This record gives sequence, structure tokens and C-alpha cells, in this order.
Amino acid sequence: MKTVICSLILMLFGQQGVAQSDTAWAEKTPSIGAIENIPHGLQSKTQLEHLRTIGEALFTAQFTEKDGAGRPMATQAIIPTKPRRALRQTFARTSGLDANACSSCHNQPFDGGAGDFVANVFLSEGFNNHDFDTTDPEFSNERGTNHLFGSGLIELLAREMTVDLVSQRTRALSNARDTGSAVRVALITKDISFGHITATPDGMVDLSELDGVDTDLVIRPFSQKGVMTSLRQFTVNASNHHHGMQASERFGVRWTGEQDFDEDGYENEFSPADVSALVAWQASLPAPTVWQPSDGAWQDAAQIGAEHFDDFGCTSCHRTALPLNSLHFYDPGPVDAAGTLNQHDVAKPAIYDLSQLDWVKSLERNEQGQVMVPLFGDLKRHKITDPENELLGNELFSQRFVGRDIFMTAELWGLGSTAPYGHRNDFTTLDAIIRAHGGSAKSSKDSYENAPEKQRSEIVAFLKTLRIEVAE
Amino acid sequence: MKTIVALVSLTITNPAFAQSEFFGDVPQFVEQAEIAGIDHQYRGPFEYFVGGGAASFDCNNDRMNDLFIAGGEMPAKLFRNTSKAGQDITFSEQPISATGEITKVTGAYPINFDNDAHVDLMVLRVGQNQILRGLGDCTFAKANDHFVFDGGDAWTTGFSAIWEQDAANPTLAFANYIDRDAPGSPWGTCEDNVLARPNPNGEYDQNQSLSPSFCSLSIMFTDWNNRGQFDLRVTNDRQYHRGGYEQLWNLNNGGRPEQFDARDGWQKLIIWGMGIAQTDLNADGRPDYALSSMGDTMLQTLDEDAEEDSPIYRDMAYERAATAHRPYQGDDLKPSTGWHTEFADFNNDTRTDLYIAKGNVERMPDFAEVDPDNMLMGLPNGKFSEQGGAAGIALPRRGRGAVIEDFNADGMLDLLVVNREEPVSLFRNLGRKTEWGYAPFGNFLAVELRNTGVNRNAVGAKISVKTGNLTQTHTVQIGGGHASGRLGFIHFGLGVAERAQVRIKWPDGDWSQPYRVFANNFVVLDRDDPDAKYWYPAR
Repeated sequence: MKTVICSLILMLFGQQGVAQSDTAWAEKTPSIGAIENIPHGLQSKTQLEHLRTIGEALFTAQFTEKDGAGRPMATQAIIPTKPRRALRQTFARTSGLDANACSSCHNQPFDGGAGDFVANVFLSEGFNNHDFDTTDPEFSNERGTNHLFGSGLIELLAREMTVDLVSQRTRALSNARDTGSAVRVALITKDISFGHITATPDGMVDLSELDGVDTDLVIRPFSQKGVMTSLRQFTVNASNHHHGMQASERFGVRWTGEQDFDEDGYENEFSPADVSALVAWQASLPAPTVWQPSDGAWQDAAQIGAEHFDDFGCTSCHRTALPLNSLHFYDPGPVDAAGTLNQHDVAKPAIYDLSQLDWVKSLERNEQGQVMVPLFGDLKRHKITDPENELLGNELFSQRFVGRDIFMTAELWGLGSTAPYGHRNDFTTLDAIIRAHGGSAKSSKDSYENAPEKQRSEIVAFLKTLRIEVAE
Repeated sequence: MKTIVALVSLTITNPAFAQSEFFGDVPQFVEQAEIAGIDHQYRGPFEYFVGGGAASFDCNNDRMNDLFIAGGEMPAKLFRNTSKAGQDITFSEQPISATGEITKVTGAYPINFDNDAHVDLMVLRVGQNQILRGLGDCTFAKANDHFVFDGGDAWTTGFSAIWEQDAANPTLAFANYIDRDAPGSPWGTCEDNVLARPNPNGEYDQNQSLSPSFCSLSIMFTDWNNRGQFDLRVTNDRQYHRGGYEQLWNLNNGGRPEQFDARDGWQKLIIWGMGIAQTDLNADGRPDYALSSMGDTMLQTLDEDAEEDSPIYRDMAYERAATAHRPYQGDDLKPSTGWHTEFADFNNDTRTDLYIAKGNVERMPDFAEVDPDNMLMGLPNGKFSEQGGAAGIALPRRGRGAVIEDFNADGMLDLLVVNREEPVSLFRNLGRKTEWGYAPFGNFLAVELRNTGVNRNAVGAKISVKTGNLTQTHTVQIGGGHASGRLGFIHFGLGVAERAQVRIKWPDGDWSQPYRVFANNFVVLDRDDPDAKYWYPAR
């Protein structure tokens, strides 16, 4: 059947198109489709490296219209959505397309890194305000570009925390059913509290005391709000939003009934295997490190600054490290819902054993043998403003049910390599972003503000040692 | 190549079913009534050619819906749902306590008459209809006397209920069929339908005949023009009425019922009306209706040009490929006979699907003898695609009533079909078929409403579920279908959306605040509680 169709296409269009696409100078991205089948099973180091090579090529590729870049009849929305009329222009810094490559924004200090203010993106749900041409916050939330280094470990932590929380809920329900009484339990995972739930014998769960996590108890570790579940989900979202490269696992015929949902003349622009390569590369990006400055004074200041950082209570949210049990990164992952390829969609997920990677070997382990992931975060959302300090409450829209003044604790690893700061990238110094903290962070911020200048400087010295040191 | 030949052959030999390709998930059903512990048939002579319904409801407050199934001349049976979430569906038959055997049952609908913690049953019969008052733990008491309810002596085939205005108890409507004692019966001797409004004491001592009536087989209270008041839609069987037609009764906001007629724009339609289903295909608040019949199924939408209070309907079954007028497989090209009809999203893709139970009445030679049930899957372009064969529900049985329910709380709708003179079919929905086994569909959301005070199940409430730009709506109803009804969680397919906003227009017209909920959950919305609660089934 394939042969018949191919022959027909050749007969209809001649050989010219084939010749052009095959040339070394073809205006297409050769890494698209470089992997025919989605990887499955435990991947050897060589296999992972192969995937990473292709993933990096995809991440840095400047997609062209001949790849399928552009989405004239699709909005930036996560749920496949058509605009009422074709979008007026292919590129727009506001509503997108707003980048040619992933690395157009994720590039500081290396590909996969963060973005400068110039690389900010404008988030709207893409349902109503899908074609806006203003940066007015009435239409969108403006966000800086986060770096992706260590993101595989972040997703693994989130998966384990989700399993813990769901298990605690299951046990509470079981206990309530067994005892015939309501059971109120504290939700704690990796020593981080997410409030309480109360289970009743009839199987109901009261969620009104939850803190910093969604009601389904899924830790969504990505985005500044903490509303994206996985690298895979984010990749599918961003490919459409920023490049108009639509992944068939969400925009394809199964869900939309169309092979070319964005009506740009190209079908199946990103296959599941393409997305897998992108995920493999991102998931295996090295974790940022604590850099040792050659300047002895800086070394000393940083060492004392780390102590102040702890003393001031900053580590109550910016946890120095969280323990991770397993370094096996499954893709597709166990938590994604329909619309992002998940473990129901494949015979066998790929497993990337991150312990094969050299940079992982340098991570500390605790007495239980758990890898201590030095993220300086807690993967929890907090209120970050108060009436006296609303500098970080500058958005008008909640995002995916998360209020405008609530954000996930920023992981500080890599901070020293990724200025500027804040969710809008509009704080040029660490001193300024620390002083902008309010809400849950008020007491820590007050401690900082009330500290002598020397101590404040030492904290900055410490934070500036949290760097992304190597690209590989 | 084989595929091409098969496709060409299909197109040439069966042009009526050359339809849009279906690229979505085809639900895979496996019939397992016997494994599940349901051994039951709907049987009997002429009076039981029609009817054959079931009620799905929770009689023991575990939120896993149980079943009451009509038996015709055989006793009706009660089956308690013993399934665990995500596992095989299992039921345990148990006596209908305190009532003894109940025979001559044509169908049943669950309803909470007295606003207590237990769901009751309205049992339809050939003879006196019977209220079974729920007492908890799947026990019941006969309660006609308790409610001063005159069950009559008619051949009842349909039921509907609504709480009108501020009433503490529901208004009831009964569809009656042939007056079998009238001279000349069965032709042209239709028994009047009945409207029973409660008095202030919650007693039913004011039955009103809805005359004329035309041998009705389904009846449904419906807010057809979204004005917040429910009127009464009736579908009638032309086989026996003379001069009859489809009816819409204006209940005049609690006043004297009057038929809408040509002066109002109501067009005379004469079909073999068997079942009514309601949905809202474009979420404009004005319901669309499927009417099952012999031959074409109707799919009616309020005419865009109709004035606000004019019930002018346009049939769009043909343009939506939903006529389902003859068997979609086999070589019998005679017209189909449709019975229970119901809209539901079987594959969680956000697009409503249409199920129609099919089956020859009783050796009617002009109609298909082997007549498989339809599963018309909704397409992105608004049309439907018949997938009953691929879904595995095309059994050579004569369907009548049916219940669409997620019996094992796995987020996928299962299907129970009551067949005439043949075993009940229970189709477990396994999901979609893959090379590595069965897998779930898109995301789903199940919503249970808890109203304050009266009308505990919020009958008449409208649920809006918003994901992205898409709004799905559902009205909580008791009535319609074919002699079958349900109460409990209301199922929505969410497709690729992992969260949704839900708003409720409660029966008294008050709107709720938006509830923000995550997909793949069973959500309980209590009117007095600003927060949604989630329910988790036992595993």
C-alpha cells in the first residue's frame, strides 16, 4: 500500500521535490525523522548518546516552513485550538511564533540554558487571546526562560513525590474505610509538607487543606508556576507555541481528526520519536554545580553566605538538596495524562539510566544511598506577595488554576549563570530579587534586609557560585 | 491490497454506509453478563414486545451503581454492584426485599421522591405502577400508599420526573401504550398518558390525563428553549395510533398542560417513536434530540431561524450521518427497529456519541430480523461514524432498554442492554485496542451533584464543563430512553485536557461558582460546599 501511494506521489509531483529535499543545502532540518521508531526498553549509554545527539540537533535546529514550522490555523493553546480566521502573521513576539529554535531562548550560558529578558515569552491560554499584538498584561503573562540543566533529575524527583502523595491518599482512604471514621493525614514527601487531606469512609477526600500542590496530588515541576508535568508535555506545548511544529501525539489525527491540524501543508511535523529525542537530551543535561571561585575572598564569602542563607530561613523553601531513589528516567513517563504520550501509549517505555552519565557520578549520596539532587528548591508552590510587597504579583491572569501571586519555588541551581532574575526576568541583581520576596518568604526576606551589608553581600557571593559549568 | 478491494466493495455495494473515516479510538467492548453474575431475560407475550428497561442507581450508598432490571412476565431482578475499580464488572443478585417478586415490569427509573438519603424506584408495569421506596442497603418497601400514589392499571412504557418551581416533590409523567381493554384494541386504542403533580404534602392525588395521547413509548421533561422551565416531550408509535403525531406539551410553568401545535410552529411528525435522548451538540443551551424509530432515527435541532418560543425543529440526521436506518452489517437491507437511544462519550474524546438499541419487535417481516445495536461515534466535523461492529456490540439479539454506566469506575463507559427473550448483554468497555493490549482513551471527568434540601440529585440542573474553548453541557434528567434510566455520576470525556472548569446551574436557576478540577477524577459538587471533593472507589 505504501509503495502504491509513494508511486502515485512521484507520478504526480515528479522528481524535482525529492531531489531538493535530498540535497545537502535543503532548507529542512535533517534531524527531524532521524529516529524512525520511538526508543523502548533500557537504553545503553551508546543508545542514549545517539538519542542525545539527535535531540540536541533538534533543540538547536532553526525550523523552517519546509519542516512544518508555522501554524496558520492553530493557536498557541495546549489543547488543539483553531483561530476563527488564519493568524495574521507567521511570527509575532507576543503570541508566537516567537522563536526559530528552542535554543533561540534557552541558551545562557549554553544551549539548554536560560534566556535574557529579550527572550521572554508571553503566555496566554491561547483560547481567546490568541492573536494579541501588545505586551499589556491584560492579554498575557510575561515570563523569563528557565534553564533546563538538571531537569531530568527534577522530573524524577517530582515523579517520586507524586507517588508518595498518592500513596498517602490511598492509605488514608483505606484506613477510613477500615475504621469507619474520617482520617486526616499530613501529606509529606521528601520532608516537604503539602498540607492535609481528610478521607472519609465513603471514599470522599476533602482537599481544602492542601498546600502548594494540585488537587490530584501530581507534582508538576516545570514552568515558573509549576503547572507542567513533564519534559515531554512541555516539549509538545512549546513546539507548537513557539515554532508551530505540531507533535502528532497531541495534534495528530487521533485527537483532532486531521493529519495537518495547523493547515500549513505539512503532516505529522513531530513524530513521537522526535519528541523522545528532545526529551532524552533535555533529561540528561548535567545538573548545575556549586562552583569554586579561584578568588579566595569570594570562596570565603560564599562559604559564610551559605550559612546565612540557611540561617535566614531561605532553605525552608530553597531546599539545598532533595533525595532521589532512582536514576531510571522512563519516557514516556508515568504521570502524563492523555494528550502527551504516556505509558499506556507504548508497548514499553524507554528507560534512560542516568547513572551512566559522568556528571551524575559527582552527585552526593546520603547514608541510604539516595542521590542528593542539589536543586535549591522544594517543587512546591508558595504565595510570594503580601500587601507590603507585591513586586512579584505583577500578573493579571492566573495560569492553569494557580493564582497570580503564587509561584513554584525557583530552583536556584544555575542561578549564577542565568541572570537576570524573577519570573519576568526584570530584576538585574540578586539583591533586588531577594528584596522582592513577600508572602511565604517575608520573614526570610526581612532577615536579609535587616542583616548587615556584609552578610547580604556574602549571600550574594554564595548564590553566584551556583553555576552551570559545563554543557555536557 | 486486500484492504483496497474491501473498501471498493463496501463503497459499491453499500453506498448508504460510505461515510467519514474514523481515526479516533474505537472502544472495545466485551460481553460478560454471565461472568458478571447477571443471568436474566425480559420475556413475555404481546404486552412485552415493548418495554424491557433497567434502572441504574446506587442503592447502598457506595457510589457504585446497582441495577434493577425488568423481566416482563418474569420477575424483575435486583443486582448489587460488587465491582472493584478498574477490574472485571461483577454483580450479586439479591432479593428485592420486603416486596416479594415483582412481575409484569416493563421498565424502571431511579428517583428520590422524598429527599432522603436513599434513592427510590419508579417501577413501570403492565398494570399498577409501583413506587419502591429505598430504605438503604438495597432494601425497598412498596410505597404507593405512602405517597398516596395511584399506580393506575395502564400498560406503562415510559416515565419522566422533574421538580417544578419550588416544589418539594417531583412532578411525574407516565407514558402509556395501548388500552388493551378498549374495543378494537390494539389499533387506534391508545391509553392516555398521565401527569401527576404532588400536593403540598408530597402526595399524588391529582393525576391529570394528557389527552390526546398516541400510544407513547418514551416521555421526557425538557427545557427545550433554555428558559428554565421544563415542558414535556413525548414520542409515539404510529403502529397503533390513528391520527397521532409526536408531541410537546407546554406545562405552562406549573399550570394546565397544553399541546404545542402548528400555531406555535410545532410541525406534525409521525414516526414509530420508541425512545428519546437529549444532548446539546453545540452547547447553545437548546437541546438536540435523537428519536429512535423503525427506519430512520431522527436527530432534531431547533431551527436557527425559529423565534425564541417557537419549537420549530429541523432534522439533521442525514447530514450528520446518524440516520442508522438499516443494519450496518450483514445482508439484511430491511429497515432497522430502534429502541433505547442515548448520547454519551464512549471514548472520552469530548465528542458525544450516540447509542441506539436495535431489535425486531417480534417477527415483523418488513423489518430487519438481525439488527445490531448502533454505536455512532462523534467525529470532529460534527458527523457520526458507525463503529458498532468494530466496537464488538453487534450481537444478534433484540435490544430494548439500555443503561450506559461506568460500572467498574475505570473512567470508561460500559453498556448494559436488555434484550427481548434473550439474555441481558453487559458490555465492559476495555478501552482501545493496541498491539500491547487494551489502553485507556482520552481523559475523563465524572461529576456528581448534591443539591440542598429537596431534589437531592439536582434533577433539572445543567452542568457546563469547559476545557479550552470547548464547553460541554449536560442536563440532569429522569426520563427518556426506552423504559430505562439512571442516576449517579455524570460522565464527560475531556480528550487531551488535563483540567476543566465546571459550573452548575442548579434547578432553581442559581449559578455556582466555577469549580476547578483535574481530569480523571470522580468529582462531587455539594451545593453548600465551595470546594469540590474527589471520590475514590474501593480497589
